[in-house]
Amino acid sequence: MSWIKILRIIIHNMPKPTNKNTGGSFLERGRTILHRIEDGILIGLLMLMIVTAFAQIFLRNLFEFGIVWGDVMVRILVLWIGLVGAMVAGRQNNHISIDLITRYLPKRPKNIADSLTQLFTSMVCGITAYYSAQFVKMEFEYGDTAFARVPVWLCEVIIPFAFAIIALRYFILFLSNLSKAIKLSS
Amino acid sequence: MTPYLIAFLLILFSLLGAPLFVIILAVAMAGFYRSGIDLSVIAIELYRMADMPVLLALPLFTFAGYLMAKSKTPQRLVRLARAFLGWMPGGLAIVSFVACALFTAFTGASGVTIVALGALLHPALKQTGYPEKFSIGLVTTSGSLGLLFPPSIPLILYGIIAQQMGVGRNFSLEDLFLAGLLPGLLMIVFLSSWSLWTNRKNPIPLTRFSCREARAAFRETIWEIPLPFFVIGGIYGGYFAISEAAAVTVIYVMGVEIFIYKEIKLSQLPEIMKESMAMIGGILLILGASLASTNFLIDAEVPAHLFELIQIHVTGKTAFLILLNVFLLLLGAILDIFSALILMVPLILPVAISYGVDPVHLGIIFLANMQIGYLTPPIGMNLFIAGYRFKKSITELYQATIPFMIVLLAALIIITYWPGLSLVLLRK
Repeated sequence: MSWIKILRIIIHNMPKPTNKNTGGSFLERGRTILHRIEDGILIGLLMLMIVTAFAQIFLRNLFEFGIVWGDVMVRILVLWIGLVGAMVAGRQNNHISIDLITRYLPKRPKNIADSLTQLFTSMVCGITAYYSAQFVKMEFEYGDTAFARVPVWLCEVIIPFAFAIIALRYFILFLSNLSKAIKLSS
Repeated sequence: MTPYLIAFLLILFSLLGAPLFVIILAVAMAGFYRSGIDLSVIAIELYRMADMPVLLALPLFTFAGYLMAKSKTPQRLVRLARAFLGWMPGGLAIVSFVACALFTAFTGASGVTIVALGALLHPALKQTGYPEKFSIGLVTTSGSLGLLFPPSIPLILYGIIAQQMGVGRNFSLEDLFLAGLLPGLLMIVFLSSWSLWTNRKNPIPLTRFSCREARAAFRETIWEIPLPFFVIGGIYGGYFAISEAAAVTVIYVMGVEIFIYKEIKLSQLPEIMKESMAMIGGILLILGASLASTNFLIDAEVPAHLFELIQIHVTGKTAFLILLNVFLLLLGAILDIFSALILMVPLILPVAISYGVDPVHLGIIFLANMQIGYLTPPIGMNLFIAGYRFKKSITELYQATIPFMIVLLAALIIITYWPGLSLVLLRK
């Protein structure tokens, strides 16, 4: 089986969207497409990482040389996978947390607690995104290179981007929870 | 006043279920803000994740573990262990411990062992004649056995956190891998002996060792048997670094499961990749956030203050270790192992070193406690996973696992107060 064939099968079988109602509104369809792009990036990053890391070992042991910037790129890929993976985990509010109390709360207080923490999460991630963006802007002005001819700021740009997305996602979660809480009370 | 208010709010938010990485980021922000440091320093700290070559091992081993869990590796592993160990008295119980420990070492204690292996072992144990309560307890306990064996992800994570702090003596991840071997074996031996003793009045028919079955099971597993040997052998033999071992493992496991056993279809790969990376992404994010908060904590000399505070009440290494055990057991019951490591190691390690605890030994103590924390009522994670998987009430599980927990506590006491057990293999 050739690599191209393998790649084709992988691309054809990208994870299906979790919400089954494929009809959906325009907005929902847009969200599904965004999710698939996100999944695609995450999977692509992992494949690139596996191939590069393996190629380095292969080259180093058999031909006693490696791609000079290969190791740096793989390390930066870890950062990217971490952040994009975290974005995907944030979709369903799947981040590790202590659910010591909320597990036992009745529906309405739980709703209120959830919306509070989601707003807080959104705020903290928003602040992180803002200040990271400042930092990336500074790095852009310096114009250092990370590896090959890739500038450092391009490697770092995932930090503000990922946090902005997580902030947005939690803000949407907050809004939908809030509307649920209001519905429950009326 | 304000620091206390902030601390109170953060504790409240974390108890209400805010994601842990957010709490840690907020701590770092509050700290930097108070010291008048521009908050864009957080991005610099997060970017430090790209300066740690070993981190590569985490996503790669996680992905390999997910692949194995989705294939028929669990079935093969159980068959192999049964064929070779099943003839012994208490055979199947020992088989369960060994198979689960091996599987957890490669997949991490994320509950996957209970779901994948427990589901095979539980009916087999009952069929052989073990009482229901014993079988359930055994399977629940085994879900986190094997955390101390390489290349378990929590073990690697402890090493990474301890190394980047740069306190105490230097040690390598390989040292940590060696140190976990004997304590991990001790736990298996204790559990096996207890299983034999508790079933002494309950005659369980012995199965004869069958050469043919052994050969068949061996042949079936032939592609997976080399894996632990070449990961561990490759690392100790100096053939490759841990992150390289992880890359080779991924390629090997992919090749074997997809093209030789053909149990994972190429079309399943994207979903498995996504699932495993979302899981490790959550952990990496907590780690990145903690790089920022840890730096602040060290600048503010929090561990030093903590040490002074504890020293007023606790004198001597032994007393400290007792306190540590109690604290970690409680922590292990509340937090999952990854967050507990990332949050607590930066605080505990400097204090423990001041009390004269070896950093490698501390890692083994930490993980041994966490492993038992998984079983600690009322909220240890294994209890819930087993309850869900085997459709038992949580109180039934408490009763079934408590004897196993006591056995593990006995092993923990030996591991904690006999540093030599962990460190003897390190002295060359």
